[in-house]
Amino acid sequence: MSSLGGGPPLDEGDLPAVTPEPVDIPDRSRVGTDEWVSQAEARRTAQTGLSGVVARAWERLPAPARLVILIGPFAIFPFITNEGNLYRYGLITVIYALLALGLNVVVGFAGLLDLGYVAFFGFGAYLYGIMASGHSGHHLQAEIAIPIVVVATALLGLLLGLTSWRLLGDYLAIVTLFFLQAFVIFVNNANGGLNDFSYPFVGKVDLTGGANGLDQIDPFNLFGYHITTTKGYYFFTLISLTLLMIMLYFVNGSRTGRAWRALREDPLAAEVMSVPVNRLKLLAFMFGAATAGFSGTIFGAVQSGAFPGDYDVGLLITIYAIVILGGLGSIGGVVIGALVVNGAPELLRSSANARFLFYGVLLVALFVAMRPWYKPVVVFLGTIAFGFAVHGIASAVWSRGTEGHIQGGGRLGRALEHWVLLPNNPGSIAGWAYFALIVAALVLTMVRGWWRVVVLIPTLYLASFVWENKLVEQVSGATRLILLGTLLVVIMNVRPSGIFGTSRVEIV
Amino acid sequence: MKKVVVAATLAAALAVLATAAWGSTKGSSRVAAPANAGNALVKCGKTRSIGLMAPFTGPAASIGINQVHWANFYRNSYNRSHKTKIKFVNEDTMLGSANGTAEAVKGAQALGSNSSVLGVVGPAGSNEVKATTGALKGAGLGWVSGSATNTQITLDGTRTGFFFRTVPPDSSQSKSVSAYIVNNLKVKRVYIIDDQEAYSTGLADEVQAQLKAKGVTVGRDGVSQQQSDFSAIINKIPRNTQLVYLPWQLPPKGQAFGQQMKSLGRAGTKLMGSDGLFDPAFSGLGSNVYDSFFPLNPSDPRVAAFKKVHKATELFGAPSYVAAQVVTGAIDRACKNGTASRAEVRAQIKKTKIAASASLLGLAVAFDKHGDMVKKPFGIYHSVKGVFVRVA
Amino acid sequence: MNWSLFFGELVSGLTLGSIYALIALGYTMVYGILKLLNFAHGDVYMVGAFIGFFVLQWLGGALSPVVNGWIAVAIMFAVAMVGCGALGVGIERFAYRPLRNAPRIAPLISALGVSIFLQNSALLLWGPQFRSYDTFDLVGVKSYSIGNNFFISNIQILTISVSIGLTIVLALVVSRTRTGKAMRATSFDRDAAEMMGISIDRVISFTFFLGSALAAAGGVMFGLVFGQIFSLMGFTAGLKGFTAAVVGGIGSIPGAVLGGFLIGLTEAFATGYLPGGSVYANLYVFALLIVMFLIRPTGLLGSPVIQKV
Repeated sequence: MSSLGGGPPLDEGDLPAVTPEPVDIPDRSRVGTDEWVSQAEARRTAQTGLSGVVARAWERLPAPARLVILIGPFAIFPFITNEGNLYRYGLITVIYALLALGLNVVVGFAGLLDLGYVAFFGFGAYLYGIMASGHSGHHLQAEIAIPIVVVATALLGLLLGLTSWRLLGDYLAIVTLFFLQAFVIFVNNANGGLNDFSYPFVGKVDLTGGANGLDQIDPFNLFGYHITTTKGYYFFTLISLTLLMIMLYFVNGSRTGRAWRALREDPLAAEVMSVPVNRLKLLAFMFGAATAGFSGTIFGAVQSGAFPGDYDVGLLITIYAIVILGGLGSIGGVVIGALVVNGAPELLRSSANARFLFYGVLLVALFVAMRPWYKPVVVFLGTIAFGFAVHGIASAVWSRGTEGHIQGGGRLGRALEHWVLLPNNPGSIAGWAYFALIVAALVLTMVRGWWRVVVLIPTLYLASFVWENKLVEQVSGATRLILLGTLLVVIMNVRPSGIFGTSRVEIV
Repeated sequence: MKKVVVAATLAAALAVLATAAWGSTKGSSRVAAPANAGNALVKCGKTRSIGLMAPFTGPAASIGINQVHWANFYRNSYNRSHKTKIKFVNEDTMLGSANGTAEAVKGAQALGSNSSVLGVVGPAGSNEVKATTGALKGAGLGWVSGSATNTQITLDGTRTGFFFRTVPPDSSQSKSVSAYIVNNLKVKRVYIIDDQEAYSTGLADEVQAQLKAKGVTVGRDGVSQQQSDFSAIINKIPRNTQLVYLPWQLPPKGQAFGQQMKSLGRAGTKLMGSDGLFDPAFSGLGSNVYDSFFPLNPSDPRVAAFKKVHKATELFGAPSYVAAQVVTGAIDRACKNGTASRAEVRAQIKKTKIAASASLLGLAVAFDKHGDMVKKPFGIYHSVKGVFVRVA
Repeated sequence: MNWSLFFGELVSGLTLGSIYALIALGYTMVYGILKLLNFAHGDVYMVGAFIGFFVLQWLGGALSPVVNGWIAVAIMFAVAMVGCGALGVGIERFAYRPLRNAPRIAPLISALGVSIFLQNSALLLWGPQFRSYDTFDLVGVKSYSIGNNFFISNIQILTISVSIGLTIVLALVVSRTRTGKAMRATSFDRDAAEMMGISIDRVISFTFFLGSALAAAGGVMFGLVFGQIFSLMGFTAGLKGFTAAVVGGIGSIPGAVLGGFLIGLTEAFATGYLPGGSVYANLYVFALLIVMFLIRPTGLLGSPVIQKV
């Protein structure tokens, strides 16, 4: 079995058509093809275009410069924005980036599919709360509490990691997922109440406050200084993130990092080459768990509380999306992934912003995906003309179709009112249009050449229709997740190693 | 590995030094708050801004949207009849969704930094109230919730003077429920099933304790809010149980439970719900169904006017109407001299007095020193011909 | 000995188990051929339940159906199964087929993406509210009893018998037809089967069609028995279905059915007999899985997997 190469799919007009292509997938490497050949196509396309130039320049920069470029904007951010934005776009992004880095070690470096990861995050928050909160009555200082939490979470990771000795791939995923479910149920009930277990020697203890959560968690008290402002937590987290990135960079180049990569690529071969596979798995789990526990303390202190619903599957999917988007195994990519996955939905909260983003992304994708340049221009102009035509016919024939108003207003919105069909009461029409859009999108993937251009025009118009009438209503909820799901599928199909990951080749 | 250890130690040292330099204050104060926003004077223009935090989207959207509708209903009727206008700054808390209370905190931070916002209506969940305390208190904002009923959040002292609620707390509901069960229904064997959410377990715990104190045999179990297959737990309920208490939030679940009870031959057992189940879907099950709800007057003309616009009464959101009324009234009084600060608005909320005749809730609205309403009864309703009728 | 509790939980467990068995069958067939954990399977089950609901509405609703209640039920089954079969084929064609030769993690993530997509599309289009099948009004629920302690309703009988019936049909298809033989060959050794002239793409599509149709049947049955469906119901059901498939032995059809019933019975008896039962019922199911992994990693009826180097 061999894997996809790292480059985008080929398109006509790019190469001379001498290579006969397999019927369905143009760029699938064939069995027995070695790494150099399978990356030949990636190399050819990488030398063209702006993205190739940027990628090679980036690779030539020394590591410290890359770090500064990545972290610099984050460091400046608090000085150019207000408190609310700092929290929303800054602090949460950085906490998620920290979390995702830990997951990157487990999944990206070591190749272990851990679906129970956010349980460690929650464990860190709860344990810190037990040690320093008004709820529990203890008020340990942070410099004592945080290391205890980190060590304890690492031990928990060790225990979970023990299951990975006998379980492969999918089974490990399921077991870790069950661990997460168990954690959530435990934490929801461990309030010493009627549903709780009775521990030996101490009877029923209120550990976590149950469904009401563990509240009144103390802010960090580091050597007598209390961190109480968003800025304080932001910088604390940012510095921890930077240091963690530096540490991971060194680990990646060390013997342990190489051993992890060997484990990821082929556990059996690694074991035969006397790589201590079991110990490495444990190490990966412990490291990931420790990182998650540490981020948990920060999150608990920021929210001044830990609530069961915060550490469930939804957060797991968000963190996974960050890691996959940024590239499995890529340290810097994770930070960019966090920015995109956390920042974009925030931008999408207002309909006007979301609209700009939607049409903007559509345009950019159009111009990037279709070469040469005249095709996207044809599509763009054709769609506009098509839209006006349909709108004109509709307003004559079906008056209800154009009576509605664009949600959210704004100049772009008002301009669009003359272009998109806006029925007064979309009702089930929007639902059928959604279905039709999916079918049209799938058909698009099956046709080539000028047929693609022809099908694309009504598809784009339909997409705009569905967006304005349906998707824009739920922009921060269901729509964001729909786009996330689609993104995951598309990324796996086009570039399975993520944006910044290194492409992997599996040779059988 | 040695490099890693060295790097880690240097890391810890640097982190400590760096954070000591930024954002640190001596003494204990609450978390993550901009300094002294509460006392800043804002000029009261023609339009005043109020923050509205509710679950617009997410799993709890079906009840959140009720609250939003009622709050907007108040805003529209106020704007029609007054020269000054109010507008809401909406923050979606996505209660019950993937990021949990994080969304609520983000919203609270945003409202805090918005200097034109003088008061907040919401959030909906008791956990959200707790999580946003740091941000809202730090910003000096007062906030009034129409649905956060956990008894402790007003009594534990962390939010006194800042947080108020226009809905009776769980302790009132549990007292009314257990009193009715013991004195009026006179049953001796009760089974309680919670749905694992904070609201539900809180109520269930209180009712269980009160019933036990009065000599009633009480069994207890729980289901998850996602669950629809109740047959296993129905079988567990002893056959001689006379009443099953369901402090749940989602009426369709109550309906499903009742129907499954019937199909398993338990149609005779009485069912008592909580205010979350106050809905025709639940009352339609039959005459063995009871419920508790705050004593809203269903024949109030405003309810009929609301129904005209929204096609349903959505009574769960009515306290949010009152919350908006309270905050608006406070801002009006604070703005009498042309300027107002958030601290002034908070003080005015404390002094709220709405007479019973003018109140949608059917009782006078005034707050006690904790932030709860002074009068906070709960009514008990019985399903008669598929509709809930007040009996206590 | 509380016989009424025992029989009550027994019937509950068998009913639940028959639904899990249908879901498990889909998982086990797909895993047997592709070695892929199809996360989206639970959401196909959910879509099936919704299709059944909308067919019911289209037929006039539970209170006044255009045709006899039972015929309406049959139509719901048929449309849901065909619709979801097509959905399954579509998912395979666009989300899994391009990744057949990619590293193991890629189709897994793609499956996760499809699952999120389906869940949230359902949430967007059909809202977060629960939809009710109103079985009472549609066909009426009659309770039969033997003696004082054994109760079973007609819907529960229907569920168990339909599940067993569909399993028998599936077993016949796999063992007696040519396509079934092709499926078995493909799951044994894909490359060899391809070299012998079997069209792998078609076999895999057919497998997905069958698996998804069965899941849809499970979804409609769930709606009939328990009354309420909503867009997030696929997640836990999918997990338990996968547990059932693994416990019974992944790749084995009778194993999936056995596993399904076992999981259903565990859940019911744990709820009935163990303290804090209903709250921790899911955990007991997962604990069963862990125990199974430790004692017999290939499941009850599975065959040991030999890894070739």
